[in-house]
Amino acid sequence: MGKAARFRLATCFDFLMLVLGIVIAVTSLGYGFGSFGRPGSGLYPFFIGVAIAVFAFFILISELRSDTPKPVLDREGAITLILMTATFCLWIVAMPLLGYVVVTLLAAYAFCKIMKLEGWWKPLAVSGGTALFIYLLFDYWMYIDLPRGILE
Amino acid sequence: MEGLGLLYSGFVNSFTVVNLFACFIGALIGTIVGVLPGLGPTATMALMLPFTLKFGVTTGLIMMTGVWYGAMYGGSTTSILINIPGEAASVVTCLDGYQMCKKGRAGAALALVAIGSFVAGTIGILGLQFFAPVLGNAALSFGPPEFLCFMIFAFVLLSNLSAEAPLKGALMIVFGLFLSTIGINPMDSYPRFTLGSETLMQGIDFLPIAMGLFGISEILSIALEKYVKPQVNKIRLRELYPSREEVRRSVFPMLRGSILGFFVGLLPGPCTVISTFVSYALEKRISKTPEEFGQGAVEGVVGPESANNSAVMGSMVPLLTLGIPFAAPSAIMLAGLRMHNVEPGPMLFTTHPDVFWTFIAAMYLGNFMLLILNLPLVGAFAKIAVIRPQILMPIISLICLVGVYSVRNSLFDVWMMIIAGVIGLFLRKWKFPIAPFIIGVVLGPTTENSLRQTLMMFKGDMSLVSDRPISITLLALATAFLAFKFTAPFFGKKFPLKIEEDDAL
Repeated sequence: MGKAARFRLATCFDFLMLVLGIVIAVTSLGYGFGSFGRPGSGLYPFFIGVAIAVFAFFILISELRSDTPKPVLDREGAITLILMTATFCLWIVAMPLLGYVVVTLLAAYAFCKIMKLEGWWKPLAVSGGTALFIYLLFDYWMYIDLPRGILE
Repeated sequence: MEGLGLLYSGFVNSFTVVNLFACFIGALIGTIVGVLPGLGPTATMALMLPFTLKFGVTTGLIMMTGVWYGAMYGGSTTSILINIPGEAASVVTCLDGYQMCKKGRAGAALALVAIGSFVAGTIGILGLQFFAPVLGNAALSFGPPEFLCFMIFAFVLLSNLSAEAPLKGALMIVFGLFLSTIGINPMDSYPRFTLGSETLMQGIDFLPIAMGLFGISEILSIALEKYVKPQVNKIRLRELYPSREEVRRSVFPMLRGSILGFFVGLLPGPCTVISTFVSYALEKRISKTPEEFGQGAVEGVVGPESANNSAVMGSMVPLLTLGIPFAAPSAIMLAGLRMHNVEPGPMLFTTHPDVFWTFIAAMYLGNFMLLILNLPLVGAFAKIAVIRPQILMPIISLICLVGVYSVRNSLFDVWMMIIAGVIGLFLRKWKFPIAPFIIGVVLGPTTENSLRQTLMMFKGDMSLVSDRPISITLLALATAFLAFKFTAPFFGKKFPLKIEEDDAL
């Protein structure tokens, strides 16, 4: 078992689940366990918490015993993931201000470039088409009132 | 006779422009999704949930089943033409389908698969039509202990059949059950795990979680992959005629696959995927020429493809009669029905018989539409497989963002979807199955209610479960399954069903 195996992200996730299970079980006791004949609010989540902790514990043990696998993301993949997630987040932040049409247009262009669609006219056509399609689908066809921002 | 009368009124109800349009759109989108490698039917159904809210419950149900159903039809196209399964239930089709393509029999394989899917779909609908009301009536006698034991039985099978490591499947189920406890407990109005947040008081909404875990994580996963342009073999209409020998060899696998698929669909787990493996194994075992399997045996294509279609209908039985989804797509459907304030279960046939019978009638129509769509347009659908993900994924991403926001005009829901999407991506990479998680979320409230009611009924003495024949049978089955699973390696036997994590989605 190499040192890398101990500190990989998957192991951290298993450990987090173990801690979460314990926290759920302890917190639920505060909601009132009751008795088996008259169960309180905390009885069911208590057993759920215990189950999470037990399963996570055994997964953690098997994870620690296993060989170090290849990393799930290489450098390029990690950059793509960060950029995609950042674009999603920027869409959420900017949408109420700029309106969904403008933000959709910009985000679609960004997604095309992040996913390495070559040139500028293809991404532009995709983003323009996406914004138009979304406008027609949600606004024109389904009559959903969405923030229009600067286009108000 | 009453059933026929109800079916007739179902046909009358389904012959509305909206229902026919929903059926067509669902079938079309499903076929496209089936053809496209990557995006699966579960993800698409999750993405379509917001749109179904614009229509009535029956229309929404028809549209979503059309997607699931259409994906089973379309999935075979890329398996046969380019050796890439469009979705998990078509993996087996690659084995002999692509070999048939290499021999110049791709057209015949596609035609036989479309006909087989039509036959299987019809048999599946017939099974659903006759089994569901009978089981629904039987389920009326189910009390909380029976529901609780059914849930335990389903969870045991799900965790074992959905993942390479059963513990990971089990962890995902209990984590899903935990998520469903967040918010105000409806039994005593006590807030749980809300961290003082008013938004969390209402509980975690299912839609953003499902769209994130299935949709956004799928998009991110595709974005991280390197794109290789597939070579698609061209198909002409006249090449679709199978030879007399091929038709003769396909008839019984088609029928066997249809019946087998329906019964596999009744079991918890990724039933459409399992049904194809079981059907392939069965056809190979009973074949007089097993050496032809893997070399382009038509039985190895038609049997599994028929099985996955009728499995869809089989899996609708537990959903509609007990309100318990056994597979991820039916969990999405349950969520969709709940969004329309319809709770499937034994009472569905008395409280909303129109929903059930209109759905059945629409499925007959949808099956026919799919046959018409898939036979002449197979060449056109095959071309969809070469559309680059760099073009499709940005469009789908933004439909997800606007779609989830439009349901409650809530940016919190969009945040939830993105967080769930990123977590979902890593869960896939670490081989944690997502389907049991989502089923856990959906079944959480029912499980808790059944447990509490059972405990109160038995005054805390759970040994009284042994007095209930159905409950004890279900528990015995779950125990026998676990015993078989854990003892099989000691007797030198390999557990027969092992589903890859991607298939289980």
